[in-house]
Amino acid sequence: MIDRNAVGQDLGSVRFPIERGKLAELARAFHEPDGLWHDPDAATQAGLGDVPVPPTVTVLADHWREHGALEHAIALAADLDRLLHGEASWEYLAPVRLGDELTARSHVTDLTTREGRRGGAMTLVSIETTFHNQRDELVVRRQDTLIETGEAT
Amino acid sequence: MTAPIVPAAPVRLAVGDRMPSEHVGPLTRTDFVRYAGAGGDLNPIHHDEPAARAAGMPSVFGMGMLHAGMLGTRLARWVGTGSVRSYTVRFTGQVWPGDRLAFVGRVARIDEGPEHRIATLELEVLRADGTGVLTASATAIVA
Repeated sequence: MIDRNAVGQDLGSVRFPIERGKLAELARAFHEPDGLWHDPDAATQAGLGDVPVPPTVTVLADHWREHGALEHAIALAADLDRLLHGEASWEYLAPVRLGDELTARSHVTDLTTREGRRGGAMTLVSIETTFHNQRDELVVRRQDTLIETGEAT
Repeated sequence: MTAPIVPAAPVRLAVGDRMPSEHVGPLTRTDFVRYAGAGGDLNPIHHDEPAARAAGMPSVFGMGMLHAGMLGTRLARWVGTGSVRSYTVRFTGQVWPGDRLAFVGRVARIDEGPEHRIATLELEVLRADGTGVLTASATAIVA
């Protein structure tokens, strides 16, 4: 169960590369067959200065976290059987490019509880992750809301 | 048919304009496994049938970040990756094997900023029966 005093908790940091192979895998997973999503020559031919990265590209940080996408939930001691991902939000402050090395740093910014519809207290946790590139420029700010539903009564 | 292109510069949009709607699917377990490998979400509930059933689910189901990501690249092909200023997704339902998803969007508002025109976009991912699995909003620089 998530600690009600988690606000401010440091959820750690991870450094990860924006690499061509992972961009190709993401493009295939998203049913994007065009080579411009990973091939610099194809991007140039399409009139683009850079390979475009998907808006959700920062998800690649999960590969470098011990528990992958569940890292934050585990750090928060959330009950994984009652955990939902409610919302995710990205703010784009500077371009992310193929070849960049990003550092993600996460912490808990807010926590609220309320009565769930099916009884038991529901906990909503807000997590902010900042992504800085190899020149220490803040490029993306991401917010996530995790929901731990109430225990069935 | 011309290949889908990601705009290199802000595109001209007006309130009410629609994103070219697209369909993906029917999605398979292989789609979920492919995203697990691509995106790094190895939560067994998305690829391990006995684990999903033990958690009370009828089967494995897709990661929210899979269809959020699919919508994201379609948004990028509409307005250009470099023009997207923000993207917010709310997960409202699960995606099951066999689901066919529709990706739709429209321009809700345009504001004249000091430097750029900024469009507020409302987007959605729907199953074939019309029920939603994700609502999203985005802001983008437009011409």
